[in-house]
Amino acid sequence: MTTEKPQLVTNGKRVDGRGLDELRPIKIEAGILKNADGSAYLEWGSNKIMVGVYGPREAFPKHVQDPERAIVKCRYAMAPFSSLEEHGRSGPNRRAVEISKVTKEVFENVILLERFPGCEIDIFIEVLQSDGGTRAAGITAAAVALASSGIPMRDIPYAVSVGKDGENLLLDLNKLEDNTSDADMPIAIAPRNNDVLLLQMDGTLTKDEFARGVSMALKAGEHIVALQRAAIGSKYRKE
Amino acid sequence: MPRIVLPGDKLADKPLRIDNATLEDGKSYATVPGLFDDEKESFIPLESVWYPRMEDSVIGIVEDARNGVYTVALNSPFKGLIITRRDSNGPELEVGDVVESIVRSVKRESDKIILILVRPRNLHEGKVITVKPSKVLRIIGKANTMIKLLTEGTKSNIVVGMNGIVWIKGGNVPLAVTAINRIQAEAHVAGLTERITTMLKESQ
Repeated sequence: MTTEKPQLVTNGKRVDGRGLDELRPIKIEAGILKNADGSAYLEWGSNKIMVGVYGPREAFPKHVQDPERAIVKCRYAMAPFSSLEEHGRSGPNRRAVEISKVTKEVFENVILLERFPGCEIDIFIEVLQSDGGTRAAGITAAAVALASSGIPMRDIPYAVSVGKDGENLLLDLNKLEDNTSDADMPIAIAPRNNDVLLLQMDGTLTKDEFARGVSMALKAGEHIVALQRAAIGSKYRKE
Repeated sequence: MPRIVLPGDKLADKPLRIDNATLEDGKSYATVPGLFDDEKESFIPLESVWYPRMEDSVIGIVEDARNGVYTVALNSPFKGLIITRRDSNGPELEVGDVVESIVRSVKRESDKIILILVRPRNLHEGKVITVKPSKVLRIIGKANTMIKLLTEGTKSNIVVGMNGIVWIKGGNVPLAVTAINRIQAEAHVAGLTERITTMLKESQ
């Protein structure tokens, strides 16, 4: 089946009217689930994501315990009604297992795991509505949930994706751009030292495009970090 | 004036002796949301996980009892152990008992951390609620002011464990629970003591 590739950029504007280096509107709320130790709700364009965080608690089953540090468990899942496409079945599929793994590795690098030997920290990312870039949105939301839970962390990471269409580099791809662009590169960063915690890529970028893409992500990060901090801090501001 | 800091924010260009800080290149960074005072170099966590220290007074629930060795669940990933001698006159404990105790030592066993608890006191009956460990110091108050206010206002017997378990018995238990939940929710807003005083007076 071949479909004609849609034109993603017209006169410097994208299909949804954004500029090339413009983020979709983002809204983050922290602490919305009463039972969870930490939680966050995020709307990123049409993406709607709920994150619950539990722990540290005794790791179970016992054979997964690490006597030196806590382990991180992450479950990324898309709700069966989250997407226009047929998902077939809910529950973990190959894609969800992969995203859970990379998300887990992002947070293993920022949580102070050595303080809680034999314990586990659980991160549940539930995508209620998806419109491209959910792994980046999930990481951004999970960072807020973790920070607001009081689990000690070195930094509050964020993630964003950069893609390419022909000559143009695009920031924060939506579903249509994600599926039809020439390259897609999600990147997660710990903003204090700009440490890269996740870097994946579909398609190809030249060295120059890669460098420009990373600097686009870093620039967008300043805005995302401000929103994350506002969401965590809003709990403590005087009304 | 203390400022609000979030994980990753720099506290000082030198190492600080603070629980909720991490060191990197000789500089201190916050690890949890909190209030940091640059002059006094003091850090008050707004959210935190309870990390056991010696001499912490804790409340737990007896999970297992055999031959005078009791395992105690402490609302924490770490288990407590109470070891009594046959000839000691400590209380006889049973599974399910609520017990107040002091952390004698934090021991690293082969694969986990275990807390050795001493001076157990059996808290009979009463109601047990859990609070955020970061709010415990606010519930007790400076020089026990808040807890005194609560016990006088509700005529209840209230014991607060550093691990975030609160035991309440007698008096107006529902009022005590409401007051404690309010302290938790408004812990960071100034003028809390007055508001709790008014609340307790109005409910009498």
